[in-house]
Amino acid sequence: MAQVTDRSSFVHKTLAYAGLIFVLSLILIPYSYIALTAFKPPGEVFEVEWLPREWSLEAWRYTFKTVEFQKYIFNSFIAGLGAAILSIFIAVPGAYIFGRKQLRGKEIFFYIITVALLFPYVLLIVPITITWIRIGLYDTLPGLWIAYQIFIIPFALWILRGFFAELPPSLEECAMVYGCTQFQAFYRVMLPLARPVIVSLLFMTFLIGWSDFLFSNMLTTGEGPRTASVILYVTAVGGERVEWEVLMVMTLMAGIPPVLLYILAQKQLMKTFAVRRR
Amino acid sequence: MIDTKPRTRETQFVSTREVGLWGRMLQGDRWLIILFLLPTLAFLIFLLWLPFLQGIWMSFHNWPFIGKPKWVGLQNYRDFVTASYFWTTIRATLIYSLSTVFQLGIALIAALALNQKFIPLKGIWWGIMLMPYAMPPVVTGAIWMYLLDPNLGMVTHYLIKLGILSEPIYWASDPTWAKWVITLVVSWTFWPFMFLIILSALQSIPESYYELAEVYGANLWQRFRTVTWPHIRGAVLAAFIIRIVWNLEKIDQPFQLTGGGPGYETSVLSVLTYRFAFLSGDFGMAFTVGIFLIAFMMILMIPFLRRFQILITQAGKRG
Repeated sequence: MAQVTDRSSFVHKTLAYAGLIFVLSLILIPYSYIALTAFKPPGEVFEVEWLPREWSLEAWRYTFKTVEFQKYIFNSFIAGLGAAILSIFIAVPGAYIFGRKQLRGKEIFFYIITVALLFPYVLLIVPITITWIRIGLYDTLPGLWIAYQIFIIPFALWILRGFFAELPPSLEECAMVYGCTQFQAFYRVMLPLARPVIVSLLFMTFLIGWSDFLFSNMLTTGEGPRTASVILYVTAVGGERVEWEVLMVMTLMAGIPPVLLYILAQKQLMKTFAVRRR
Repeated sequence: MIDTKPRTRETQFVSTREVGLWGRMLQGDRWLIILFLLPTLAFLIFLLWLPFLQGIWMSFHNWPFIGKPKWVGLQNYRDFVTASYFWTTIRATLIYSLSTVFQLGIALIAALALNQKFIPLKGIWWGIMLMPYAMPPVVTGAIWMYLLDPNLGMVTHYLIKLGILSEPIYWASDPTWAKWVITLVVSWTFWPFMFLIILSALQSIPESYYELAEVYGANLWQRFRTVTWPHIRGAVLAAFIIRIVWNLEKIDQPFQLTGGGPGYETSVLSVLTYRFAFLSGDFGMAFTVGIFLIAFMMILMIPFLRRFQILITQAGKRG
């Protein structure tokens, strides 16, 4: 809708503010209630009150001391970090070729990426689990890193290919006039230009690893590198009684770092998604 | 496959300076292209297509988690189609796929609102709007599990207080409500993806277009129809199709909130795949259900494919 300040009609402003308030309340009401619940003593979670009558750190103590949730948070961190780094090595060179090289039938590449993007990865848990058991990747961190690539790479290729394709076509040639090899042109000219996109992909892929439940639950056991998501699932579903205040502490611990990362990467993320407007 | 024409020209430039071992190895396009494509090709082959084919092979077997698989031919497919829960799970999948429509609704409202010049503090609202999407789905699932709890949840409490409900709904054991709860929770969680894409499409519209429309006396709705919508249509369609597929694969929250139950009432095809794989350890059956998931997604996408195809070939030629 119109981006004109002065002439914006009353209706226009009302609609925009109503929309904004509607969406924000959808998000803020649940979250603020949850944040307050994490500070309630065990007895108080059974009644609907916004403020705890007595502020308590009991749930936090339990989460750290008894559940040792920080261990699983650390696993999530390593799982996400490894997956993010690995994905860059796979996706950046491939997307560079897809986006810039004059190959015959280059539309085929686009189809390959699109099909990969729309590939229903959930069914791959079946063969991947069996294969991972066979080749010894089951219940290991590298096993998780590699498995996560299934979610990450198609999206990363999609974003990066679009970015490389939109850079001016003569860039490498100029670099080579100045004596760069093909590889140096990529390494010294293209990579620095792509840094914002790569950084935001690192953020997003880290979070995919951090958040994943599908593979983490399927490919790890209690003794292995269980991630925070799995423990959260087990706490919410297993057992006769759910300890809500503890569960809410866990949601904050697993939920806040990603939000901080998103806010940190805001500028890069906006640019990255802008690439995709076609 | 590889167009060799530009290569001769480029190799001339290379020789002007001393190049290391790497440089020598990578001289000319061809080596670079092969080397750079290797990781991506390895991914496509070993992590997508081979496992996919392997899965099809497995679906012809009675394949337990541990132990010897046994060839059963099309038995799994026959068993699934004739199972008492077949139509239950198809119905659940249909309702679950409506989450894409809900997401589009919220994302459009949010993106259009946030794109207005007169809205202050945009950065903060942007950050808040991304919260559901940024957090692990199991986290947001746990939050809604608590808020929607029939006995102690906030939602039930206020709905009764406002007189909308007369008594708590035990949605986890109610076939209809269970389906709507997982659909709405998944809508609430993943809409910011479409929001991001629509917002950046909106931001690329030159302001002069709106000024022109206004000169011609277009009102708010007409400006949306003639300027905004044509510019974001492509982005909306791409995001919509991607989300149809991605939403149908989101099993974290249904698995956590209802576990696919009561009975099979919320066993969306992807959840059923996971149930067979993770709970029953019946891998052949799990992949069979997965094949039906693919078929289902394809049927859902048919109405959009023609437009999408045009979009893709355009982008492919341009890029």
